[in-house]
Amino acid sequence: MRWGMIIDLNKCVGCYSCVIACKQEHFLPPKTFWCRLLISESGNFPTVTKEIYPVLCNHCANPKCAEVCPTGATIQREDGIVWIDGNKCVGCRYCVMACPYQVRTYYSDGDREYFLGQGLTEFEEIGKKLYPHQTGTVFKCNFCMERIDAGVRNGLKPGVDPEATPACVISCPANARYFGDLDDPFSEVSIMKKEKKGQPLHPEFGTEPSVYYILR
Amino acid sequence: MIQNRPYEFMVKYTPQREWIERRGILLWLAFFFIELGAGLFFISSFFNNLWGLLIGWLICSVLGGGTHLLYLGHPLRFWRIFISSGWKTSWISRGLYFVSFFLILGAVHIGLLFGATPATPLLIVTDIFAFLVMIYGGFVMNYVNGIALWNTALLPILYVVSGIWGGAELTLATALATGATGLGLAVEEWIRILLIGFIILLAVYFISVRYGLPAGGVSVREIALGRWSPVLWVAVVALGIALPLGVVILSFLAGLEATPVALLYIAIFCGLLGDLATRYLILRCGYYHPIVPSHVYSY
Repeated sequence: MRWGMIIDLNKCVGCYSCVIACKQEHFLPPKTFWCRLLISESGNFPTVTKEIYPVLCNHCANPKCAEVCPTGATIQREDGIVWIDGNKCVGCRYCVMACPYQVRTYYSDGDREYFLGQGLTEFEEIGKKLYPHQTGTVFKCNFCMERIDAGVRNGLKPGVDPEATPACVISCPANARYFGDLDDPFSEVSIMKKEKKGQPLHPEFGTEPSVYYILR
Repeated sequence: MIQNRPYEFMVKYTPQREWIERRGILLWLAFFFIELGAGLFFISSFFNNLWGLLIGWLICSVLGGGTHLLYLGHPLRFWRIFISSGWKTSWISRGLYFVSFFLILGAVHIGLLFGATPATPLLIVTDIFAFLVMIYGGFVMNYVNGIALWNTALLPILYVVSGIWGGAELTLATALATGATGLGLAVEEWIRILLIGFIILLAVYFISVRYGLPAGGVSVREIALGRWSPVLWVAVVALGIALPLGVVILSFLAGLEATPVALLYIAIFCGLLGDLATRYLILRCGYYHPIVPSHVYSY
């Protein structure tokens, strides 16, 4: 089993729903994003195109970040999810350097609140209890593994049942994201990857990402 | 200068920041001190220069170890690296072992020298670890394949040569300070070779990166013509290379004894400054390739 994601760039409208859903799901502190939208323009007038690339951790099959971690804090699970054990991370940031996709963030500002000088909101206080992020460590997207694990325990199928599917996927109003098992040839993601020629970002780095894009 | 607007982050060439800004600046100093100290120890060991060995060990442990400690922020984080099995794949973990073994063996060797008991086999093993200490920083950076400026086999070699060169310069400084003329004359010959080697290697490194991957070209352009070009042309080329080279030529033609001592000290200081500036540029101008496919961005 290897969880993976397909992002259809033909459908993405750049609404930032995935970004916000991710921030809310993981109670991410200010100025940190596990899911981002890269927006740019290409072409020349009058044929200018707005390009939107949603990016997140690629949960590579050969993760450079895990190889360089001096403490084994970056762990690759059997289902392909690459996650960080905050209790083991020493904050050396070698993984931040080694990730060619720049999706890792060093979390240094533990006390920062969203509304400066006004204290933590109720939501932030709940977040610090429910989903504490350790200051001085690195964090990144974990494919909402808590949702996946809880869902699988309850007999749900990730990618099919919303309760067991990453927040960015279920929040997408344009249905641009698909989630499922890349090792299952009959899963929706495998079929889409094959039929619509899903492309990973920078395959030349040899990391074998689990996130594929259907290009325009 | 490349100035990315917020929404262009990762769409264009993006410089790494974590290892040069805020607390990351400590890592720049840490690598410099560690390699300089190991270089001084390494060179001094060939000349049985006790002061050089001691000062090299102190630079490596106090300045190098101290800045590493400040960077990580907590001593127990060292311990966590030490007890993990990360050394199998991580150069940072391997480096910690190299530095630790070097410091332990170096302390024993210096202690034995104070007791006037030569221990050549121990010194050979310590020198091997000193060499590994000098080279591991290059491998740490070389492993990062997202940054073309770092991802070259020349980088570890460059760091070793600059570490040994810096060590030779400091050995000359200790010779001048202690009045050991014989040592000074012998080290001066090493410095000539190492300086020329460093110049050639640096030029080959920049040229090979410039004409390699596009991100490497961007990095070298930033170094040579961009915002950080004054650091290259003033600190590295003029002060770090041209001035020491002039002094080396002068001492070669006129003899070391005829060269003003103040000028030698200035050349040593400038040489070390140039080494430090080179390392700064390599860290500061490490650019990532854009994340999105090439048809989306232009530079």
